[in-house]
Amino acid sequence: MIAEFYVPGASFLHRWDARAKLLFLPLVLAAFFVPSTPVVLLVLAAMIAALVAIALGPSQLLPPLKTLWPVLILITVLTPPFHLAGPALIRVGTVTLLTHEALATTLTLLARFLGITYGFFAVVRAMSLDDLVLGLRWFGLPYSACLVVTITLRTIPALALTWHAVRDAHRLRAGRGDRGRPPVVKTYLPVLTSVMIEAVKGIPVLAMALESRGFGRRNPRTSFSGLKEGSRLFVDAAGLAAAAVALLWPLVVRW
Amino acid sequence: MIDEQPAVSPAFRVASIAILAAVTTVLTRVVQVPLPARGYINLGDVAIVFTAITLGPFSGAISGGLGTALADLLSGPYAFWAPISLFVHGLQGLLIGLICRVRPGNLGLQVLGGVVGMAVMAGGYFLAGIFIEGAGPSLTEVPGNLIQGGVGVVLGILVSAAVLRAYPPLRQWKW
Repeated sequence: MIAEFYVPGASFLHRWDARAKLLFLPLVLAAFFVPSTPVVLLVLAAMIAALVAIALGPSQLLPPLKTLWPVLILITVLTPPFHLAGPALIRVGTVTLLTHEALATTLTLLARFLGITYGFFAVVRAMSLDDLVLGLRWFGLPYSACLVVTITLRTIPALALTWHAVRDAHRLRAGRGDRGRPPVVKTYLPVLTSVMIEAVKGIPVLAMALESRGFGRRNPRTSFSGLKEGSRLFVDAAGLAAAAVALLWPLVVRW
Repeated sequence: MIDEQPAVSPAFRVASIAILAAVTTVLTRVVQVPLPARGYINLGDVAIVFTAITLGPFSGAISGGLGTALADLLSGPYAFWAPISLFVHGLQGLLIGLICRVRPGNLGLQVLGGVVGMAVMAGGYFLAGIFIEGAGPSLTEVPGNLIQGGVGVVLGILVSAAVLRAYPPLRQWKW
């Protein structure tokens, strides 16, 4: 298991500063919850999808759709029955199937869901987890919290391998291979117990390693890598400000 | 020294939270248990229940919230659920740990804590889903979340008892 969704590249999204990308995420959330018409939200979602297509390639539009199409169908089918008040758009006999309000709400939810999905997808795809941690640290996340995140990300692949190895070993011991479906408890309890013991045994060792490396001292810490400074940062901040105006202009217009 | 009240050492707390968050992420992302009808559940809740019972409410909250949030971030399409998972599963771990702390080792309290955590988790995702997907689609996810939470409670309590019996130093690591 690879503990990262980042794909290296040279697009403008990759070159955008990590701090600006982190600020872009709450902007996207805010933009889709500002009271607005479905058309505006659909345009916003389309703009963010276009951002993904231009920066990461048109093929990158498919993975989120492949994973989330059942939710999109559920939204389309299950939203109208909850909004049957008002003038009807589609009526069969005396049964109202779709109203203006239902159509507007369905389109709003679809735009919101797709826009937020693509917005977060774009940032996660174009930002390495090292930059994510450095960016969070720049915004004030304590060093110990950043250290926890970094160690967690480094530990995930090893633990995933441990899981597969222990699961395969237990299967061989039980002589089951891939045949049948034993009950959940009988199948997973021995594997979970073994993996948990392996994991917790590593805690004191890691703690001693951290202490021997000086964790807990008060002197200022250095960092092996850092985020860019200077004129490039100014350009990225200006770009973010423009994006903020573009995403939140319905709120500005309303005021 | 590491053996004298290790849980108060900042390095120990960082190490325990990081490793158990990694366990939570792996059990959420890697392990898929098929349901009898259709679909899959993950075992992330097992790790949250285990951590809350064995290491206490704060470990349960931080590693549970962080582990599930990272699992969402690493999934790609589900990345926007990360802040919601951080809060919902963090609250789940916190409540389970606080209830179990009243009388450590009491099975009844562990079950009660697990059920309360399960309800908070399913309810939290339902409420968040209302704003993102709408009430209808969000409601369809509640049964799956409850099944996943229930399996997490049962396996979490069993794993906690088994690991404490097999690795006794764990009893002194609560904070």
